Amino acid sequence: METYLRQIKSWSFLILVLAPFVMLGLTVGIGYLSGTSGQDSQRIAVIADRSSLRKQFIRQNKSDVKADIHSTSAAKKAVKANQIAGYLVLKSDAQQVTATYRGGQSLANGLKAQVDVLLAQQQQQLNLANAKLSTAQAQALQQQPQFKQIVHKKTGSDKIARLISFWVMVLLVYMILITYSSITATEIASEKGTKIMEIIFSSTTASKYFLGKILGVLLVIMTQLVVYVVGGWSSYLVAQRVSISKELVANNQDLINKVLGNLFSVNLVYLLLGVVLYTILAAFSGALVAKAEDASKAAQPATYLSMIAFFATFPFQNNADVLVVKILSYVPFFSSYFMPLRIIDQSVSGWAVVGSLAILLASILLLIRYIGGIYEGLMLQTDDTSFWKSFKRGISYR
Amino acid sequence: MLAIEHLSKSFGPLQALNDVSFTIQPGEIMGLIGQNGAGKSTTFHSILGFLKYSGQIRWHDQPITESVFDEIGYLPEERSLMPKLTVEQQIVYLARLKNKSAKEIKPQIDDWLAKFAVKGKRTDKIKDLSKGNQQKIQLICTLIHQPKLLILDEPFSGLDPVNVDLLEQAIFAAKKQGAAIIFSSHDMGNVEALCDHLIMLKAGHVALSGRLDEVRNQFGKTHLFVTTDWVQARLEQLPQVVKVTQLAPQRYLLQLADPAAGPEIFQQLTQGHYIEEFSQQAPTLDEIFRMKVGETNA
Repeated sequence: METYLRQIKSWSFLILVLAPFVMLGLTVGIGYLSGTSGQDSQRIAVIADRSSLRKQFIRQNKSDVKADIHSTSAAKKAVKANQIAGYLVLKSDAQQVTATYRGGQSLANGLKAQVDVLLAQQQQQLNLANAKLSTAQAQALQQQPQFKQIVHKKTGSDKIARLISFWVMVLLVYMILITYSSITATEIASEKGTKIMEIIFSSTTASKYFLGKILGVLLVIMTQLVVYVVGGWSSYLVAQRVSISKELVANNQDLINKVLGNLFSVNLVYLLLGVVLYTILAAFSGALVAKAEDASKAAQPATYLSMIAFFATFPFQNNADVLVVKILSYVPFFSSYFMPLRIIDQSVSGWAVVGSLAILLASILLLIRYIGGIYEGLMLQTDDTSFWKSFKRGISYR
Repeated sequence: MLAIEHLSKSFGPLQALNDVSFTIQPGEIMGLIGQNGAGKSTTFHSILGFLKYSGQIRWHDQPITESVFDEIGYLPEERSLMPKLTVEQQIVYLARLKNKSAKEIKPQIDDWLAKFAVKGKRTDKIKDLSKGNQQKIQLICTLIHQPKLLILDEPFSGLDPVNVDLLEQAIFAAKKQGAAIIFSSHDMGNVEALCDHLIMLKAGHVALSGRLDEVRNQFGKTHLFVTTDWVQARLEQLPQVVKVTQLAPQRYLLQLADPAAGPEIFQQLTQGHYIEEFSQQAPTLDEIFRMKVGETNA
């Protein structure tokens, strides 16, 4: 409990927890500001001899048209003042519809396509009228081709969702592992340096104390995850309602649902257990240093191992069903990275997940038991020797 | 009662303790003396279960396990606290490890700070206190849960005479409450002032053991302090005198080969007349310590 309270009251924890939300806020804010400030100069004016034609174009391209400019002279002035990107002049007589765009740069592709569509529609109406066709003939010419697409399960947005889920998951695991390994190793190494351990071990057993430490860190991690889940969900709900992000969320609803589905799943259990396992390793190496100044050294084994596992996932982001991934998804210290990879890829059975989790859980319990047993020896010997000598002496201290 | 029987411990080829036995009754103070590396801290670490040992250590006829940790107060040789905690947080944290509630401990803190004349408030951070005051906080942490077995490793080191008095009073108060107390010290003055019993360790062996007065008398009353107008050469002629040391003008220390020669020396020296000082004593603890250490080194 002391470990938990000390950690969650620290500035580093607050920064750690709030950083993603601050970053999200900043990104959205900057995006919104740059979007609104740059919007006017990107828009165009539309001038037409037939007001119905102009209105139709404006209705279809509301966000791209500055509607309060009606005349060519006003448009020219606005272009000069850099208030608009250019202006489109639409003309229509009995035979032909024409559109002329004048501006510093060519019309944006999306908008040009809209202009083409409008011109084609208008020209077709003129052509039909001029051809003086019967109703049946006119209807026959209205016949449109049909295009159908059937998307298989593992293509399209599903593939993008997997890729996003992979990166979010792997980065999340990596960041949290590195952070907590460092926090734990530093905390334990600093206690060892002060030799307060003799007083503590005259009050409680070393294994109980070690377990308490790990549980304390586990509670801190769970607090962080709860904040992330609640904060992430709230941000998602807000994003669905706020005008600047509403459209983006609506357009990508399917993708977002898939990514969220991949994240809020058994993968979170892997994240949690992975952090616990790495925390135990960090605590163990923290107990091997002689003084607090060496705490950064203490975190190295856990940090390096985590980095190796992290980088090892890179080649397999698109082929999660190869043998190496299958093997590593059962190996403790690696399974927290590799099994989520397979789960996201949907190429693993439920039983395999249960088996891998059981191995991970058993490794945690065994490590706690083993390190809890030698913890007193490790913490009470303070000779400044090498890592391995310190380890050997710690084991044989009693 | 703390009973230690045939305690032995070795670190590789080094025999740190060899067949050490002693007992401490509730309300008794035991002084543990010995040179650096004699095995004092190893004895304490064995009592606390930090080490595996051969022999038996029992508290009230039971092995010392987690169930009696709450009855133990331990002050390690090197002082250490958590620098970022406040005085109150530090005291409460360590007391809670002894199964005392914060509610129970907090009201006592001001009294203890006053008792040890700590210069600092309960809200001050440990790191902001002077070294001496940090040491006092550590002592408070050792004593506040009213332990029944008090183990103090070099409790007087670094304390000025005023604070030595304060600590001695606290140790006597714990004794009065029935605690069994064992402490180590290099200062024989502290040991003589406090102890009922004494153990001297020499390279892991018990070199001396017993009640303080018994230990001193084992060496016989071979020290004779006299104040006389006799000259040194004449004093050296007295029976059984092996050495004469002048301590001050007309004041001498005569070392006797046989303490039984005292009455005869008195007759010859006074010849029935008044003499300002004639005091026959056993050697001081300090002298005994040096003597024993000398034997070790010989």
